[in-house]
Amino acid sequence: MVVSLVILLTGCKDREITAYRAPKDAPAVTAMPQSPATDTNNLPPGHPPIGGAASPGGTDGMTQMANTPVPTAGGSDLTWSAPAAWTPKGGSSMRKGSYAVKRDGAEADFAITAFPGDTGGLHANINRWRGQVGLPAASPAELDAAVQHFDGQGLHFEVVDLAGPSGTRMLGAITSFNGNSWFFKLMGPDALVAAEKPAYLDFLKTIKAP
Amino acid sequence: MHAITRQFRDFFVSLQLTVGLLILSLILVFAATLDQVNLGIWAVQEKYFRSFFVMWQAPNSDISLPIFPGGYFIGGLLLINLVAAHIYRFQMNWRKMGIQLTHAGLIFLLIGELVTGLMQKDSSMRMEEGQTRSYSESFRDYELALLDKTDAAFDEVVAVPEAVLADEGSVQHPRLPFQVKVKAYYGNATMQMGDPAGRPGAPVATQGVGARVQVIPLPLTYKPDELNQPAAFVEIITTEGTLGTWVVSPLVGMPQTFAYQGKNWELALRLKRHYLPFSLNLLQVTHDKYPGTEIPKNFASRVRLKDEAGHEDREVVIFMNNPLRHGGQTFYQYQMNAAGKMSAFQVVSNPGWLMPYIACILMGVGLTLQFCISLAGFIRKRAGTPAVASSV
Repeated sequence: MVVSLVILLTGCKDREITAYRAPKDAPAVTAMPQSPATDTNNLPPGHPPIGGAASPGGTDGMTQMANTPVPTAGGSDLTWSAPAAWTPKGGSSMRKGSYAVKRDGAEADFAITAFPGDTGGLHANINRWRGQVGLPAASPAELDAAVQHFDGQGLHFEVVDLAGPSGTRMLGAITSFNGNSWFFKLMGPDALVAAEKPAYLDFLKTIKAP
Repeated sequence: MHAITRQFRDFFVSLQLTVGLLILSLILVFAATLDQVNLGIWAVQEKYFRSFFVMWQAPNSDISLPIFPGGYFIGGLLLINLVAAHIYRFQMNWRKMGIQLTHAGLIFLLIGELVTGLMQKDSSMRMEEGQTRSYSESFRDYELALLDKTDAAFDEVVAVPEAVLADEGSVQHPRLPFQVKVKAYYGNATMQMGDPAGRPGAPVATQGVGARVQVIPLPLTYKPDELNQPAAFVEIITTEGTLGTWVVSPLVGMPQTFAYQGKNWELALRLKRHYLPFSLNLLQVTHDKYPGTEIPKNFASRVRLKDEAGHEDREVVIFMNNPLRHGGQTFYQYQMNAAGKMSAFQVVSNPGWLMPYIACILMGVGLTLQFCISLAGFIRKRAGTPAVASSV
């Protein structure tokens, strides 16, 4: 009987609603991938290496990558009009467009790239981006739940807003055009990118096929 | 003594009962081992060993019938049998001391298993280098956490266990200024992008991620390497009316929040947390391999243990077979991802962890004593025999 009582009491404990005070969860401390070589490991299989500015801060791996021939998207290009406050930068051969977005002394990088095919698919690309801001890879369902769908001028964008634990934030949009995948990536300090989000979404509306 | 009482006593002290129970336990272990193919180790333990009866569910019905005695039943009877025989046959005689000690050890072992079965808590603590944790997470039990995040320094948490969610009822708690109504609960489910209204029959979420996803129920998994991912539709009802319906699931990666009466709330279905009165900070993970091979040589995690109450602050290295024991918890090196600088510990709290050791010592001493007594008797007998022969 004592045994039954103990078992009953233990059984009830599994259904007990508890209330307690807990310290706040410390943000994850995963640093941004330091070397682009690690970054390359995050690319989905068969994915061509992505342009240098995608991983600011790296040098060695970037030199290696610069020497690798990269197939970029051919055919006709999309057109857009960027906000006047964004300063055009000299793009690399892999960039279709490149802008410096400055505010309050901070700077974010906006890169437009395009590659043939689906470059590994939406999930693989978002997980690669998550890695770039220091977030762990997420399951397909989590990714689907985090993607926002956005219709522009005849183009459909899949948009993600990724805030990394180290204060880096990224707004990324992917769209398909003429069999190529186009990537629009704004990456920089959290506060700046958050403040630029309306301008970024307005920018997506200006993108159109020629 | 009354005849019935005597029969009752004779039944419980009989050796036939012991043998019968041992045969039953053999059959139980055999059947459970075979059923592991279907259920996996976790479910088999619950169904066969941590139950009084093995239940069989009639196909296409909710009726469950007991078909075989379970682990608690057999173990409990074995314990009663052993204790009864021990008391009944106990003689304060040093010649029997070895047997008595061995039996006492066996009783201790059975009680130890019962204590372990009822009170042991297994959980895991997963950290990346540099991270500090003061809680461990259950391996497979979930909870709906309602967090009042208004204070900048701490969260006020009300945790509702999954078992309560499964009732699909309403939850009220003195710490909650609202009622939580569980509109639907799925033990395992996945989510996909889509219009929530596209799945007739399921409730429709109006807030958070749920307004953009569909919840697709899945059959429960029993595989040891797979985890059920529950999902639930919960409605927050206040005295002024409803605040909306949310979908909660461990698959939801982003925090789902709402504000009520000037306080900021967050809801999350997460693995059940056990907060500890101390914290561990993972300083370094080491994964050594034998030179020139991929064969692991050593997994080790260097952690900093900080106990505010005990004013303890020290560094500890946890590696295979060298766990950290602190505050009634044991931290074993469990998993490691050296590339990701991640380490996971199995956190075990078992108030009965010493009992098997004591039982083994008792049994060892008892058997040795019994052997020595028998040996001494034998030697004496042999030494006496020639004298008898010569006198004939």
